Amino acid sequence: MRAVFQTLTTAGTVARLEWQLEWRQGHQLAAVGLFAVASVYVAFQASDQHTGAAAWTAMLWLVHLFSGFTAIGRLFDRERSNVRRYLQWTASPLGLILGKLFHAVLTTTALTAVVLGAFLLFLGWPQGIESPGKPGLLVLGAWLGGLSMTTTLVFVSAVASQVRSGSGALAAVLGLPLLLPQLILATRLTRGALADEPWTMLVEYPLFLGALGAGTATIACILFPYIWRA
Amino acid sequence: MKGGWNWFWKGGSILLLAYVIVRGFSTPLQPGLVSATPSQLTIAGQSVILTAVGQPFAETEDLPEAFEVVLRSGDQLIQTEVLEVSPHSVKISVNIPPSMPSRALDAYLFTPASGTLFLGNACFVEEAAKGDVPPAFIAGAPLPKAPELGFSFPYQPNIMESIRNLLWHVPMWFAMFFIMGLGFVASLAQLRTDSIQWDMRAEAAVKTGLVFGLLGLATGSLWARWTWGAWWVSDPQLNGALVTVLLYSGYLILRAAMGDDDRVGRLAAVYNVFAFVMLVILLMVLPRYTESLHPGKDGNPGFNSYDLDNSLRAVFYPAVIGWGALCYWMYTLRLRMNRCTHHLLSR
Repeated sequence: MRAVFQTLTTAGTVARLEWQLEWRQGHQLAAVGLFAVASVYVAFQASDQHTGAAAWTAMLWLVHLFSGFTAIGRLFDRERSNVRRYLQWTASPLGLILGKLFHAVLTTTALTAVVLGAFLLFLGWPQGIESPGKPGLLVLGAWLGGLSMTTTLVFVSAVASQVRSGSGALAAVLGLPLLLPQLILATRLTRGALADEPWTMLVEYPLFLGALGAGTATIACILFPYIWRA
Repeated sequence: MKGGWNWFWKGGSILLLAYVIVRGFSTPLQPGLVSATPSQLTIAGQSVILTAVGQPFAETEDLPEAFEVVLRSGDQLIQTEVLEVSPHSVKISVNIPPSMPSRALDAYLFTPASGTLFLGNACFVEEAAKGDVPPAFIAGAPLPKAPELGFSFPYQPNIMESIRNLLWHVPMWFAMFFIMGLGFVASLAQLRTDSIQWDMRAEAAVKTGLVFGLLGLATGSLWARWTWGAWWVSDPQLNGALVTVLLYSGYLILRAAMGDDDRVGRLAAVYNVFAFVMLVILLMVLPRYTESLHPGKDGNPGFNSYDLDNSLRAVFYPAVIGWGALCYWMYTLRLRMNRCTHHLLSR
């Protein structure tokens, strides 16, 4: 009981630390936001508001994917090395990864809001789609898809941070194939939500995305102590 | 004694695979109907040619009277007369009735030696009225004849001769699962003991498994071209297979990026455990819950009776054991290479 409490305290402290780091450094968060909005604007210019549902979905997830990489890909490289050493000696690995995961979930939620908001603002609803479709499911799909990508990215970023040279590029190389299943499910769900397909055909996709996210988060929590104390 | 056992299983795997290759390519395919010409019929008397593939269902000296063809519309049978028989086709004359339950006709060919051949939706009668077939056209149900097919592979529509790929594609994936599972166990042991011995086992297993994964992708792609008409389609099973191979390539990239860092064993083991869990999710869980073209999926675990008959089983099971043993053999060679390298480098 006490161990659980301690782990949660560590998680809370780490999440707060991450948040303060984000806030003080400032440019990290701004960089991600700028990247997202600029990419959406490029998509808008390229398509001139005549985007079909398929291209709309493809661009949405490309922007979401690379914004996610920018935001989460270097999650374990940000602290100065003395802070890192301090954490290594004092914090329990489980608490640390929980804190990082919590922070990543918050970041992804904000990122989803920015990306989806910018898409709807600039590109509007895709061409050739009559009704508003299922806007709730669209938002849920973007969020869950982002979350299940994020939990994988946290794990990959933890692994890549252990490699001394070029960990950023390595995170991208290892991360992209791991994110394919989530992206396949998420794009399918987004297209279904846009085209207003019946619930019975779509209900499995949010469930799969949620299960995949929870599953990868659990494996990351189990394996992280071995990475951290290596 | 140990040397004897090694000779037994290594020699055994070669013998089994030789048997599989010879048997797999020399066994004839049971005949199956593939087309009816013309497939558009009118309400009149006309002749139709039914064509088959596979081993011949008739000898050249066979008499047409020994064969019987009926067309089925809904649940009613229409009689025909067999005019000519050749090893791979039969010419019939049929009087199409003015009314029938369904405009699409299935064809049944009853042969004395090869049993009953079936072709669904063989012909189509555009102008037929809906109703019962008039009694004058109706055929009695022929007596089924016991076929004497001998040792032959079953005919499956669309798959046809490519059913022999079952002896390559499927066992290769089985071997890949098996050796990746071994690598998973080795990585778990590595995490417990932090010993380089287990790390070398895991690395050898992943490298061998990747070879079999790539072979599985190649044979699967050939099969897809034949049965589905494209080298690659978007399908949960295929996506999972590709992602799995990419994932394990990532394992090698991670090792290469670590260089001679002494934490490489532990980090690679962590990644390998993660990769194997993803393999199970991607290839064994996800495709079963989503719609898939791939056989044995779509809520239907593994193979079922229509895929495998006894003659196919007699070659398929040896193929599974043979490829699995060959895979394990390759793994032991790779492992020995890893040990030699380690020994030379640490001198």
